[in-house]
Amino acid sequence: MKTMSRLLAVSVLAMATAAPIANAQDLIVGFTQDAATLDPGNHRNRETETIIRNMFDGILTRDSAMSIQPELAASYTQVSPTVYDFKIREGVKFHDGSNMTAEDVKFTLDRLTREGAMGNDQTSPRKSLLGPIESVEVTDATTVRVTLSEPWPLLPAMLPFQEIVSKNFVETVGTEGMATQANGTGPFKLVDWRKGDSIIMERFDDYYGGADGIQPAGKACVDRAIFKIIPESASRVAALLAGDVHIINELPPFAVEQVKNSQTADVMTVNGTRSFFIAMNLEGETFDDIQVRQAVAHALDKDLIIDRILGGNAASISGILSPDAFGKNTDLPEYSYDPEKARALLAEAGFPDGIEVTMDTTGAFKDTAEAVASLLTRAGINTKVAVGEAAILNEKWRTQGGPKEGDMYFTSWGNGSLDPQGIFVPTHVTNARGNSAGYSSDKVDALLDAAATEVDREKRAAMYQEAEAIANADLPYVYLWVPQDIYGVSKRLSGWQPSPDSRINLHDACLN
Amino acid sequence: MTAVMREGEAVANTAAAEESIFRRNLHSFAENRLALGSAIVVLLFVLMAIFAPLIAPHDPAETDLFRRLQPPAWMPGGEWSYLLGCDALGRDILSRIIYGARISIFIGAAVVMVATTIGIMAGLAAGYFRGWVDVLISRVVDILLGFPYLIFAIGLMAMMGPGLINIILALVYKEWVIPCRVVRGETLVTRELEYVEAARALGASGKHIMLREILPNILSPVIVVSTIRMAHVIILEASLSFLGLGVQPPTASWGAMVADGRAFILQAWWVSTFPGVAILLLVLAINVASQGLRDAFDPRFHE
Amino acid sequence: MSLARFIERLLQLIPVLLGVSAIVFVMITLTPGDPVEIMIGDQIVTPEQEEALRRDLGLDRPMLERFGLFLGNAVQGDFGESFYHRRPVAEVIAERLPATIELSLVALLVALFTAIPLGVLAAIKKNSIFDRMATVGSLLGVSLPGFWFGILLLMLFAVHLQILPVSGRIGFSSEIEPITHFLLIDTLLRGRPDAFLDALSHIILPAITLGLPMTAILMRVTRTSMLEVLRQDYITFAEAKGLSRHRILWRHALKNALIPTVSVAAIETGSLLGGNMIVETVFGWPGLGRLVVESIFVRNYPLVQAAVLFYAVTYVLLNFIADILYTVLNPRVKL
Repeated sequence: MKTMSRLLAVSVLAMATAAPIANAQDLIVGFTQDAATLDPGNHRNRETETIIRNMFDGILTRDSAMSIQPELAASYTQVSPTVYDFKIREGVKFHDGSNMTAEDVKFTLDRLTREGAMGNDQTSPRKSLLGPIESVEVTDATTVRVTLSEPWPLLPAMLPFQEIVSKNFVETVGTEGMATQANGTGPFKLVDWRKGDSIIMERFDDYYGGADGIQPAGKACVDRAIFKIIPESASRVAALLAGDVHIINELPPFAVEQVKNSQTADVMTVNGTRSFFIAMNLEGETFDDIQVRQAVAHALDKDLIIDRILGGNAASISGILSPDAFGKNTDLPEYSYDPEKARALLAEAGFPDGIEVTMDTTGAFKDTAEAVASLLTRAGINTKVAVGEAAILNEKWRTQGGPKEGDMYFTSWGNGSLDPQGIFVPTHVTNARGNSAGYSSDKVDALLDAAATEVDREKRAAMYQEAEAIANADLPYVYLWVPQDIYGVSKRLSGWQPSPDSRINLHDACLN
Repeated sequence: MTAVMREGEAVANTAAAEESIFRRNLHSFAENRLALGSAIVVLLFVLMAIFAPLIAPHDPAETDLFRRLQPPAWMPGGEWSYLLGCDALGRDILSRIIYGARISIFIGAAVVMVATTIGIMAGLAAGYFRGWVDVLISRVVDILLGFPYLIFAIGLMAMMGPGLINIILALVYKEWVIPCRVVRGETLVTRELEYVEAARALGASGKHIMLREILPNILSPVIVVSTIRMAHVIILEASLSFLGLGVQPPTASWGAMVADGRAFILQAWWVSTFPGVAILLLVLAINVASQGLRDAFDPRFHE
Repeated sequence: MSLARFIERLLQLIPVLLGVSAIVFVMITLTPGDPVEIMIGDQIVTPEQEEALRRDLGLDRPMLERFGLFLGNAVQGDFGESFYHRRPVAEVIAERLPATIELSLVALLVALFTAIPLGVLAAIKKNSIFDRMATVGSLLGVSLPGFWFGILLLMLFAVHLQILPVSGRIGFSSEIEPITHFLLIDTLLRGRPDAFLDALSHIILPAITLGLPMTAILMRVTRTSMLEVLRQDYITFAEAKGLSRHRILWRHALKNALIPTVSVAAIETGSLLGGNMIVETVFGWPGLGRLVVESIFVRNYPLVQAAVLFYAVTYVLLNFIADILYTVLNPRVKL
C-alpha cells in the first residue's frame, strides 16, 4: 500500500512537470498494410518493400520517370551479355555509423541468391527475383562484378527492389534479429516499430544524399517519417481530410471528388503497373471456341466501367502489357463494344440462346466483376459471379497445365518492373504459373523465350510487340485495363511524387 | 392392463394440465404489449421475406451504373422509385433489403432448428444416461467452447468455401452446444422427478422416457433459449458476410451490404446505414419477443 | 478451494487443449489453398525454387509428422515460425496481445460501471418507467450489430465532430517507453497525462462498441439477482431491525447480488477477447483478432494454431476464475 501511494505521488509530480511534446516535424503516411518484416531479404511483399525502402537504399533506383539510376552504385557497366560491373559509391554510411563497402554489396547479393544463405539452412524467398545470377565477386575495393549464367536483360530493372544490408550487422544479429531491426543506408533510420500500428523513422543525418540523378540530393527534408497502418479505406480518407496524415495510398476512385473539393488535401495519380484481365478456360467446352471469346470481348463496355466505377482513373488495354511497359504494342486492334455482334458471334458458335457461365473473382474486385457480369449478361452471356478467397482461386486457376475447371476468372497481374518478362511470360507461356486461360501458342512461347535473352533493345521490343499481336488475335484473355494508383496528399506536402512502381519515397518530401 | 390404463390416464391428465398452462402462458404473453408488438414485427419481416418478389419495387440484382450511389428519395438527386437510394452498382437498396430478409431469416431459423435438434438429442443422452456418454459429450462441448465462435466459423468457411449451406453448417458446428448444455442440465434434474421414476418403474423404455416424459417438460426453456439464439445467429451471419465470407453475389445479405457500403460511408452513408437498421430492427424485435416468451413461459424468470 | 480440486481443474485443461489442437489441425488439413502460392503472388518462380520455399516452411513433410512436431514443440513453449513474418509465432502474438487485452479490459470496465448501477436502479424501481426503458435499452444493446454501430460512432465522433481520432492506439507525439505494454498504464507510469488522454481518446469508441452487448447482458443479470436478493429473509429482517434502506441496499443486498454479475462478467470476458476482430477491423486497432483473421486468409497456419490455443487456454482459465470468484464472494458455495 505504501509503495502504491508513493508511486501515485511520484506520478502526480511527474505529471505536473511533464515535458512539453517535442515539436518535431512528422510526415505521416496513412498506409494499407504493415510490413511483414524489416529484413529486406526475407519477404515477398509489396507493402513491406514500400515501407522499408525508405530505410534501405539499393544498388540502383528509379527516378519518377521510371528510368534506372545508380544509387549506392556510382555507375555501372555491362561488360558482356552476362557480366555487369558495379562501381560502388564511397563514403556511404550505415545507420550504425559503419562504412558501406563493396563487401556489403556482395554479401547482400549472396544472401539473396545462394542456397541456404539465410542461415538455418533457409534460402531467401527473393532468390527467384534475381534470376540467373551465378556469382558475385569483389574485383577491387570499389567494384562488384555480377556474373550471370545466361544473358538476362532484366537485371538492372530488378536491382532497385533489392536493398543493401550490412554484412557485419547481419553476422552480429543473425537473420532472426534482422526481422525487427533495420540498419540500412537510406535517408531515414528506424525509431520504433509498433507492430500492426505504425513504423516510426527519423532523418539519418549522415545520409550520403541519394542518387545523383535525382535532385535535390542531400538529407531528408522532414524530421520524422511515419507509416501509420490504416487498412480501412474510409478511415484512411477520413484521416487525410482531418489532417492526421499527409499521404494516403489506395485512395478509392469514388473518394477523389471529395478529396479534391476539400480545403486540406488533394489527389495525385500515377499510371499503375497492374493489368486486369478475364481469363477464359480454353480447356472448357464453351471457351475453346474463339467466336465465344470474341463475343465476350465485344459484349464488354470497358469505357463505361472505367468511367463509372474506376472514376476514369484507368487506361484501357488490348494486350497484357500496360501502356508504360517496355515493348508495348501500341497498334493492337480493339474489340469494340457491340452487344449485337456479340450475340451474332454466339449464334454462329452454336449458342443462339446464349450461354450460362460463372466468373470467379476475389472479394476485393467483387464490385467491378459484378458490373462486368451484368454487361455480359445483357449480351446473352449469362454470367454469375462467384467470390472466393485468393488462396482457393489460385489453386483452381493456376494449375500450371494441370486439368482445370471453371469458366472465367476475373483477375490481375502486377508488374512493378514494367518489363514484359515479369508479366507476359507467367501469363502466356504454355503451362506457366499464371497462365489461367491454359493458353498455348508455339509462336508466342518461342518469341518470349528468345526475347528473354535478347540483348538488342529494339529487337527485343519487336519480339514483344509481335507476341502481343498474336495473343490479341488468339484472345485467351479479355484484356481490360490498368488502373492508376491514386494517392491523397495534404496541401502542406511538397517535393513528393507518386511512383509507378508503388514505392513511396519520402526522401525529398517536405511539409509546409 | 391396469398399468396401461393408468399410464394412459396420466398422460391424458398431464396433457390437459399442460394445455391449460400453455393457454395461460400464451395469454400472459399476449398481455405484454411490447412483446406482442415485437412478435408482429418479426412476423412482418417473415412475410416480407416470403413475398419479397411481390413487394420489392425492383429486381435486387439489376445493376444500372448510371444510378451508382444515387441518394435516397428525399435528398437532392434522389427519386421516389428508389426510396432508399442505390448502391455502388446502381441497385435499389430497398429491394435488396427486402430480399436480404430471406437470407437473414432463413439462415437464422435453419441454424437454430438444426442446432436445437442436435442439442436436444445430445443433451438428453448426456443427462439421461450419464456415465461415459455424458463424459464424452461434455468433453466435446468443452472443446468446442474453447474456440471463439467467430474465428471457428471463419476457419470453417475457409475450409468449406462460401455458400448458403456452408454458412449454416459453419454456424451449426458450434451452435448446438448451447441448447445441448441447457437440455443436459434440465434432464439431470428432471430424470430424478417422481413421475419419471414412476414411468421407469412401469418398465418404459429409455427412448420413451426421454422423448415422452422428459422432453415435453423441458421444452419451454429450450424454446426460449432458441429464440434468443436466433437473434445471435442473425448477427453472426451478418458478421461473417461483413468479413466477406457470406452468400454468393448477387444475392443480397444485410451484413454484406453493410460491408460493401462502409467504403463509401464518407460519400454515400445510405448504402451502409439502411441494411444496418434492418438488422437492428429484426434482431431487436426477436429479442423483445423472446424476452416476453421467457417471462410468460419460464416461471423461474418471473419478475 | 482445495488443492485437489485445483489440480483436477488444471488436468481438465489437457483434453480440451489436445482436442482444440487436433480440430484445428484437421481443419488445416482439409482447407484448400497453398501458403507458398500466396507468398509468391504475381512473380516468376521456377518449380525448384517453389519446392525450396515449401521445404523451408516445413510444408513438405507429411501431415501427421507435422502435427506430432507441433505438439512436441508446443509443450516446450515453441509454436513454430510465422510463415508471413518469418519470426517465432509466440513473439508475433505477444506483440499484438497487449492491444487486445487492453481493449477487452477497458470494454469490461465500461460494461461493469454502466451495467451495475443501471441494473440496481432498475431492480429498485421495478416496473417503473426507468426500469422499462433500461430493459428496452439493454435489449437494444444486444441487438446492435457491432460492425455497423462502430462505423456509425466513427462517422459521428471522428469524422463529423472531429473530437476523437479515426484509428490506432495512440498519436505520434507520445513516445512512451513500454513498461507493461498497456498504454493507459504506461502513460501514467511515465508521468505523461497528455499521452494518457491521447490513448484514452483512441480507445474509447472501440471499447464502447465492444462492451455494449456485455453491458446489456450484465445489466439484466444484475437486475434479476438484485430482485432475487431483495426478496430474501435477511433483507426483510434487516428492514425490521430498522437499518436505513440505503445501507441495506448498497451494503447488504448489492454485495450478494453481484455474485452472478461478476462470474458472468468473467466468463463473458473470454468472448470479448475472442470476439474483437470485427471491432479491430473497423477501428484499425492493432490487436490479435485482426491478425488471426488475416492469417487464416493467407494460410499462415502456425499463427492460427497458436492463437486458437491461446484463446482456449484463456477460456478455460476465465471459467476457472469465475468459479473462484463465486466461492470467494459467496462463502455458502463450496466447490
